Amino acid sequence: MRKLFALLSLLVVASMLLAACGTTAPTAAPAEPEVVEPAPTDAPEVTEPTAAPETPGFTSPDATTFVIAESEVGIDTLDPALAYDTASAEVIQNTYETLVFYDGEATDAFVPMLAESWEVSEDGSVYTFKIRSGVKFHQGGDMTPSDVAYSFQRGLLQGGYSSPQWLLAEPFFGVGNDDVSIVVDGEGACADDRECLSALPAEDLVAACEKVQGAIVADDAAGTVTMTLAGPWGPFLPTIAQTWGSVMDKEWVIETGGWDGSCDTWQNFYGMSSADDPFSTIANGTGPFTLEKFANGEEIILARNESYWREPAKLERVVLKSVPEWGTRFSMMQAGDADLATVPSANRSQMDELVGEKCVFSIETNAYTCEVVDDTMPFRVRLGRPGISQDVILYNWNIATSEESPNPYIGSGTMDGNGVPADFFSDVHVRRGFSYAFDWETFISDVYNGEATQSFQLTLPGMPGFFLDTPHYTLDLEKSAEEFKMADLDKDGIPAGEDPEGDVWTVGFRVQMAYNQGNPTRQTTAEILAGNLAEVNELFVVETLGLPWPAYLRSQRAKQIPLMTGGWLEDIHDPHNWYQPYTTGTYGGRQSLPQDVKDQFSAILDRGVSETDPAARAEIYKEANQLYYDLAVGTPLVLATGHGFSQRWVQGVILNPIFPGLYYYTIYKD
Amino acid sequence: MVNYIIRRLLLVPLLLFGVTVLIFVMMSFLQPVERLALYMRDFPKNEKAIPALIAKYDLDKPIYVQYWNWLMGKVDSASGERSGGILFGDFGYSRSQSQPVSELIKRRFPATLELTIWAVAPVILVGIWLGVQAAVHHNGFIDQAARVFSIIGTSFPTFVFGLLMLMIFYANLQWFPPGRISDEFARIIESEAFHRYTTLYTFDAILNGRFDIFLDAMRHLLMPILTLSYISWATFLRVTRGSMLETLRMEYVTTARAKGLPERDVIYKHAQPNAMLPVVTMAGFSVVGLLAGAVMTETVFNYPGIGSAAVRAATSLDVVAMLGFALFDGFILIIAALVVDIMYALVDPRVRLS
Repeated sequence: MRKLFALLSLLVVASMLLAACGTTAPTAAPAEPEVVEPAPTDAPEVTEPTAAPETPGFTSPDATTFVIAESEVGIDTLDPALAYDTASAEVIQNTYETLVFYDGEATDAFVPMLAESWEVSEDGSVYTFKIRSGVKFHQGGDMTPSDVAYSFQRGLLQGGYSSPQWLLAEPFFGVGNDDVSIVVDGEGACADDRECLSALPAEDLVAACEKVQGAIVADDAAGTVTMTLAGPWGPFLPTIAQTWGSVMDKEWVIETGGWDGSCDTWQNFYGMSSADDPFSTIANGTGPFTLEKFANGEEIILARNESYWREPAKLERVVLKSVPEWGTRFSMMQAGDADLATVPSANRSQMDELVGEKCVFSIETNAYTCEVVDDTMPFRVRLGRPGISQDVILYNWNIATSEESPNPYIGSGTMDGNGVPADFFSDVHVRRGFSYAFDWETFISDVYNGEATQSFQLTLPGMPGFFLDTPHYTLDLEKSAEEFKMADLDKDGIPAGEDPEGDVWTVGFRVQMAYNQGNPTRQTTAEILAGNLAEVNELFVVETLGLPWPAYLRSQRAKQIPLMTGGWLEDIHDPHNWYQPYTTGTYGGRQSLPQDVKDQFSAILDRGVSETDPAARAEIYKEANQLYYDLAVGTPLVLATGHGFSQRWVQGVILNPIFPGLYYYTIYKD
Repeated sequence: MVNYIIRRLLLVPLLLFGVTVLIFVMMSFLQPVERLALYMRDFPKNEKAIPALIAKYDLDKPIYVQYWNWLMGKVDSASGERSGGILFGDFGYSRSQSQPVSELIKRRFPATLELTIWAVAPVILVGIWLGVQAAVHHNGFIDQAARVFSIIGTSFPTFVFGLLMLMIFYANLQWFPPGRISDEFARIIESEAFHRYTTLYTFDAILNGRFDIFLDAMRHLLMPILTLSYISWATFLRVTRGSMLETLRMEYVTTARAKGLPERDVIYKHAQPNAMLPVVTMAGFSVVGLLAGAVMTETVFNYPGIGSAAVRAATSLDVVAMLGFALFDGFILIIAALVVDIMYALVDPRVRLS
């Protein structure tokens, strides 16, 4: 027994010593010069934007499989017409394809993909695409112009505000007509309500469908698809280059239970939800990868499409693995079993210690310059690229709750100090009070390690309407207290600070602020806000609540979450793409903004999107900035600069910031 | 003995009924709209549609009607389709994981069962053996070492121990990876050429004659087993040690020694069986704990069992899924309690005679 005990002790000690002394990465091997593959067609070129270091690198233990360890693999849907989250879109972008595609890292230049070429009418309202021949879907069907037209028609008719179809609806139906339900009755009274829509006069339903079919016409003999827009729409190509412009196999969709292409049945598929969508868990595109395994929440495996119309991808397989625990993901990176991993910003310092190659982005050259900083370390870090996304603290002006369906996030649901009423955030002073209570400096320092700047407005640098001197909120707890004292939640005409019967200032409140689980940035946002509000008044309680992505998304869509952080990754680099969702569109809806507020923004946005002169547009969006600030519709947080890690053997990554994730086709491993 | 088992078996339906009532009562605390997830997949987007749906699934009817529907499902009079019904294996729909709860259990439980099967022997037997050794060498070096070992084990949080193991044996030594199986073998297992007799990778690998897959699955199991074992050994060690020490002081043990029986027979044939009663109870509930999902261990080692799924449901307030898991765990607990009672009767004749 003593011998056994001694042996076990020795084993533990030896293991710990090995752990302390052991190398943290696979053996270093001489680097080969990076290869720039010539493109076989005029489709997107395979380019490596990063300057390759001329020093020894690392070799992957398995060059054929690319493994991404994510905090959560939560795919909402793989239906390109419905998917509107980056996790879903990343898989779709690699399995389906669009008519045109982004040219390398450019966000405003395009190359042909499933369209060989295209022509635009003089007035900019008619696009004619010549469709590529010889392209097959994964299950063997031929891709034809009819498939292209059907895919766009299906998407527009499926519509719904939970989908990205508003991006296509506006160019086809006109500014502000962002859903097919508006085309049916002129008002969109049945938006997101299939039953209601189906009950509308049949002739109106057929007319709306025929309008859609008339706007997108396929000519299989000529090999073309003609799209007639409601008017000129400058950002049309960027709009159809994203996943909602993906082409599906018409026959396969019909066989699998999708819309049959008839104007008599389209309403049965309107406002589709991911849980009922038969295409949520399957995929049959023309893309470089096929869907091999779909175990949502666990892992998703993509396999190389060997019958791809271009040269097949270099990687045989891509594995998206759900690894919720950071320590486990870190170990996978150290062991070389993951090529990329989700790294919470709080844990970047752990990864930084193992960086062997540092790539810094230069705005002047629009490229990264890389250098080897420690030849023995396994990871590459990319720093400094400004992001094209930002989070905004959103206030729900009319929180969904009812007797049948009481809201779980608003406590008692009344102004008794143990909850909030449904219209809590409809008071502008409450929203301003919250806005003044956020500490950007701490947030940037704690979460971003200083790698971010406060965002003053919704627009991003380089867009019309971006001004550094725009009005914005800063941390000021005294002003926050003043605003809360001016609030009048019991609507008795007496400000809360003076109300003898009690109001928010004397009664207090308790409300939950939700964030998507595995996102410590948003968690910290909630915690900072909660801490500062408690300082403003100890009766102010904000509880933080982490929800998995699908649940977070669903609760937002149901307008149940009273207080949240809503992120936006721009669809196109244009102020319209920021103001539309945050005021009249998606988030405006999830915030339950009243119609009069939406109308004020609509008037500005309509002028903005129709104007072509950048200087004039800038002035128009300046008005939008002012209105957003005055009403404190939301609180923009920060613009972060990039800080991403990968193994040093990962090559060929196109770092286009507008991609929903990685485009695996060009990636290879040393 | 047979009478005792029959009597015990007759209690099972009553206990099952009790569990369903308990879970249903907890379910009743949910709002009707939340309970819609028992019958339908998607949360209605349109608020106006909610009252009609609540009426459709009788969620506004008396509690016994709702209980019956929960057990038997609600049949649509027009289409004849059944929604829900736990007796038909429908535990509702998990909104956090976008799939039916029963599907989730079906997919995740084999992994947990496999972990339990391989962990149960080291957890229980080694724990008991350590306890017996500590008692036999009372106040000796082994006893002292075992007590220190036990204190460390009891005070070591599972996730810390798990992460430490992961750091040493995976990140640095690359011996034992997380997950359930390597990707290359996962593809083989999911191929048609591989027969999935049990859905337990280790057993299927042996039945398919694929010892490479068996070894790979064991490689993935070893760290979770070691973590579960180390944490449990401490408890087993202390209970067994205490029970053994008490038994060794009994007069019949002194008598056995006085008769001149070898010490080995005295300890293992006379004392140990009688010291096992509390250990059997604990072992039974340890197995239940393992089957219900070793929550932290599965999370740290990214092991796709029922524990990690339950964590995800709990952290996302997916109450229907959580209660589905609770119901499933309740069934397991009843079966395990039955097995423990039968083992009790085997170990101690007084139990069956009473």
